[in-house]
Amino acid sequence: MKKITTLALSLAAISSFGFAKEITIAAVMPVTGPVAAYGQTAYEGVTLANKMRPTLKNGDTIKVVLLDTRGEKVETSNATTRAISQNKAVGIIGELITANTMQVMAIADKSKIPVVAPAATSDKLLDNVKFGSRVCFMDSFQGKAAAEFTAKELGYKTAVIVVDQAQVYSLGLAKTFESEFVKNGGKVLSKLKISSGDKDFKAIVSQIKSKNPDFVYVPTYHPEASLLARQAKQINLNKPMVGSDGVANPTFIELGGDAVNGFIFSDSFDASNPPTELSKKFLDEYEKDKGTRDIAGFTALGADAYFVMVEAMDKCADPSDSVCINDQIHQTKEFSGVSGVISIDSKGNAIRSVVMKEIVGGKPTFKANVNP
Amino acid sequence: MEFSLFLQNMVNGFSLGSMYALIAIGYTMVYGVLRLINFAHGDIMMVGAYVCFFGMVSLNLPFIAAVVFAVTICAALGIITDTIAYKPLRKAPRISLLITAIGISFLLENLFNVIFGSEPKAFIVPEYLQTVLTFGDVTVAISAVLVPIITLILLAITLFILYRTKYGMAIRALAFDIHTVNLMGIDANLIIAIVFALGSMLAAIGGVFWSLNYPSIEPMMGVLIGLKAFAAAVLGGIGSVGGAVLGGFIIGFTEVVVVSLSPEFSGFKDAFAFIFLILILIFKPTGILGYNFEKSRF
Repeated sequence: MKKITTLALSLAAISSFGFAKEITIAAVMPVTGPVAAYGQTAYEGVTLANKMRPTLKNGDTIKVVLLDTRGEKVETSNATTRAISQNKAVGIIGELITANTMQVMAIADKSKIPVVAPAATSDKLLDNVKFGSRVCFMDSFQGKAAAEFTAKELGYKTAVIVVDQAQVYSLGLAKTFESEFVKNGGKVLSKLKISSGDKDFKAIVSQIKSKNPDFVYVPTYHPEASLLARQAKQINLNKPMVGSDGVANPTFIELGGDAVNGFIFSDSFDASNPPTELSKKFLDEYEKDKGTRDIAGFTALGADAYFVMVEAMDKCADPSDSVCINDQIHQTKEFSGVSGVISIDSKGNAIRSVVMKEIVGGKPTFKANVNP
Repeated sequence: MEFSLFLQNMVNGFSLGSMYALIAIGYTMVYGVLRLINFAHGDIMMVGAYVCFFGMVSLNLPFIAAVVFAVTICAALGIITDTIAYKPLRKAPRISLLITAIGISFLLENLFNVIFGSEPKAFIVPEYLQTVLTFGDVTVAISAVLVPIITLILLAITLFILYRTKYGMAIRALAFDIHTVNLMGIDANLIIAIVFALGSMLAAIGGVFWSLNYPSIEPMMGVLIGLKAFAAAVLGGIGSVGGAVLGGFIIGFTEVVVVSLSPEFSGFKDAFAFIFLILILIFKPTGILGYNFEKSRF
């Protein structure tokens, strides 16, 4: 079997000699599993971006291969290895969850393959890698934005934080939020810990009720946040909840039902205010495709990860030169992407704005824009 | 802790514990007759939740009818797993049975993964079960109150079947000595099928209740719940129906109490539930209400 594949590949190589090449970008994402909603929305963005811009300047076509991680760490490393060794990807877009993205980057770094993370927001993400970068904001900024918004705009004084101790993402956000909220004159009454996969939060919500805070900060992923909101409603805990981009997808509203109305969260993009020319074009394309203009934040970020990578490839003499692509990604300045204007620093971190939204009548609606 | 918070926690603990109890009864009964820890039991609970969901969404059944549908399907599923997976192994060593049970568990999980996808789905909770009752500072959804009540009714029915009916007597006799029972003209296979059907029906109801209280269902939901219900059965004394219920309540209360007494440890509530199990087993290896394993018969 392997021989046949090799033969086929070499035949393909010979036959394409002299014509435009095909370059592979791998999307390593969870399209099944408990956080499938993230992967599916982000992949939608990548494929649509690929449709809008399928070729490079020199005429090479770009092929996007999807590898499913099921949201698990082991599957993630398998998928990454497959992307590099079998699909010969020159760049990787993915994963969505911070912990898994770290896994992808650790593996890709050894093969010198650049990775653009669409939505992994942990501050520590790029600490030990050279070939990683991201198009989303960092938790230190997201947490700061949430703290400033709740303390200054909404005038809340006291908070209880519910943190998912099994997720680096949640721990990081909770930490920055706490210090920034205190800096702005707020007080954190209690920090309650949960673990991903927990279903029963009745004891947690009872505890929150007895502390009687102005609001609850819930920087967790949507499966936990939705159940927490539902169980809070069951015991009449009518405190506002504020979350992070872990809930920025339609599945959250589906799972949470009426209970998530009034839920405030930070996101990267608001479809009702397209920030750039590219976002307008992207929204039109999306509407043609899906018949709606409601785009999840991750769809926009997925598209931006693709555009930033393709932009970098165009600047390289050999668009399959991974080292050059990575350098060019790290030099991205004021790129007008779908989700907003993105600059990427030499380490790979993106500098960009945060959007605060509130769920009203089952729809996320724009509340405020927070710039760095 | 204020009194209202204490009461609220009592209500929460009761509601959570009774769900574990419902599922633990199935573990304990199957263990009683076959000396088999049926690891597929937690997944039967998951099937119950999914079938109820499917009945409401695709067949447009009203909630009660969907529950009856789920209970029927799960009873059948219990009998079928026994017939195809455990019956051929009646004379085989116990370890083969245990491995088969784990196999069935994986089969069910992955089957539902393929059919329904692995994303969590929002379970539909009927309006009348979403009503919130308020007693002073204590608030509770109707579904959370119904669970312990129905659990106790079902426990009473189970005990009635076991101790007041002919089939119950046969089940107890079977638990005592499977080989002699056959000589006495009792169809052991029929009785075992009844035990599986009974246990699976309770698991299905447990699954529905679980989904009413935590309305997000996924194919792997049975794993941890099943493990905790198993721990409850062992804690209470495996083989004892009353013990299973007691164990369920203990595990449920432990989880709730850990969160309310020490919020810093709230993330480790699962660990505490199992630590409690270990402690009990050190001092009373047969569980709280259990007798000697080889002599205990319900």
